[in-house]
Amino acid sequence: MRRARLIFRRCVPLLLALSQGCEYFEYHPYDTYIEGPTGLTAAHTARIEERLKEKREFRFAVISDTQGHYDETEEVVAALNARSDLDFVIHCGDLTDFGLRKEFEFQRDILSGLNVPFVALIGNHDCLATGEVVYGKVFGAENFAFTAGNTRFICLNTNAMEYDYATPIPDFSFLDRELEMLPEGVVRVVYAMHVRPGEFQFNNNVATLFQHYLKRAPGTPFCLYGHEHTLRQDDLFGDGVIYYQCPDIAKRCYLLFTITENGYQYEAVAF
Amino acid sequence: MKLSLFNGALVGLLLLASSPLLAGEGTGNSRPPLDRREHLGRSGWSRIIPTHLKVQYAGSMGLISVGCGWDYGRKCRWETDLLAGYVPKFEGSKGHATLTLKQNYIPWALYASDHFSFEPFYTGIYLNTILGDEFWTRQPDRYPSGYYWFSTRMRIHAFVGCRASWHPRKGSRIKGVTLFFEINSCDLYIVRKVGNHYLNASDLVGFSLGLKCQIF
Repeated sequence: MRRARLIFRRCVPLLLALSQGCEYFEYHPYDTYIEGPTGLTAAHTARIEERLKEKREFRFAVISDTQGHYDETEEVVAALNARSDLDFVIHCGDLTDFGLRKEFEFQRDILSGLNVPFVALIGNHDCLATGEVVYGKVFGAENFAFTAGNTRFICLNTNAMEYDYATPIPDFSFLDRELEMLPEGVVRVVYAMHVRPGEFQFNNNVATLFQHYLKRAPGTPFCLYGHEHTLRQDDLFGDGVIYYQCPDIAKRCYLLFTITENGYQYEAVAF
Repeated sequence: MKLSLFNGALVGLLLLASSPLLAGEGTGNSRPPLDRREHLGRSGWSRIIPTHLKVQYAGSMGLISVGCGWDYGRKCRWETDLLAGYVPKFEGSKGHATLTLKQNYIPWALYASDHFSFEPFYTGIYLNTILGDEFWTRQPDRYPSGYYWFSTRMRIHAFVGCRASWHPRKGSRIKGVTLFFEINSCDLYIVRKVGNHYLNASDLVGFSLGLKCQIF
């Protein structure tokens, strides 16, 4: 038995080396052996922060729900690259339909063609099977934040139904930490999530509490989300915080936000 | 590089598949038939005993899978295998066991000599299940019906392949050792290809290698 274990231990690295030579040897559609770049969120948020340091005005695009539509994802990348006025792109989640490793890799490869840095949130489909692990490797933490000029972007995993209440979704302790330690000079916070409060995938027991938390920020002009595949804008809680829904990529539409000194402008752009 | 490797494998497979057409003609009476596969002396309950053991590398059923199987039918053209595989943990994740039920159809065998034979083309399907809490056959009850229509646990794969065998002398404990190569794809990959020019067939197939040891 010990010898068998020893042989097994020696064979595994050998076989792994073989597969590195040829990516066609796949162990399972849900394996977590990533081909190509990983840790994109950290790398790209660093680029955004560097690019927009000290800036008070900037422009970003929002796309969402690109799962299974690779041609349209390529087209939106081309459309966004054709603009010279963009600073970064936010993807509001659902890069995959089935949570398959290959789906994450295809989307990563297409979106990496963007001329500007991008961040991608985790969607409910991205949580399926080993998808959460693959998302973690390819992109990074499910809750993360970055500073663009004088604005803090807080990106949250709100896919509560995927977690059976064992994991706190949304993670209020993350929000607590973030809001207590906002970097100096931040005058507003923009929140991005895949599922809005009120949608059944969200943990609606805490929907109003969630909104209460969001408003602890010095200024909360608007929130971004995806998931329902339509273009929408609502004052969900009647408190002046507008929730913008980005349609899925098959609708051939992206949102464009311009942050200015005293406010922001919003536009839905067809491509 | 990626594409040329795939094309090379495909051309090789096609060449192999066409070889029986070239080799089948002009055999004299004295020469044994090209396809000599058969089983003798297996009847009744002894048929339950597996006829072969298999070990397979990759093939979307685990890093390595081992199991046994049965061949049957005229000229042993059919093979059914049961395999257990292991998907190792990669950094920051855990490993998973898998089970595979595999059905092979091997239409032709070409005997180059008493000791070497070649099966230029064979095909089949396999059903793979991966074990672990994060996978389900049907979506859990908490979702509205039809929210996730697919199973994350069960995969159906189709494959084509070719194989070469060595047959030791008569009376040897091992009746044959076979090396095989397969190209496979699975249900969700084929679904994924629909409506997407971006994806090439080569993006959605996997290779595998294996050994079969004939014991009966």
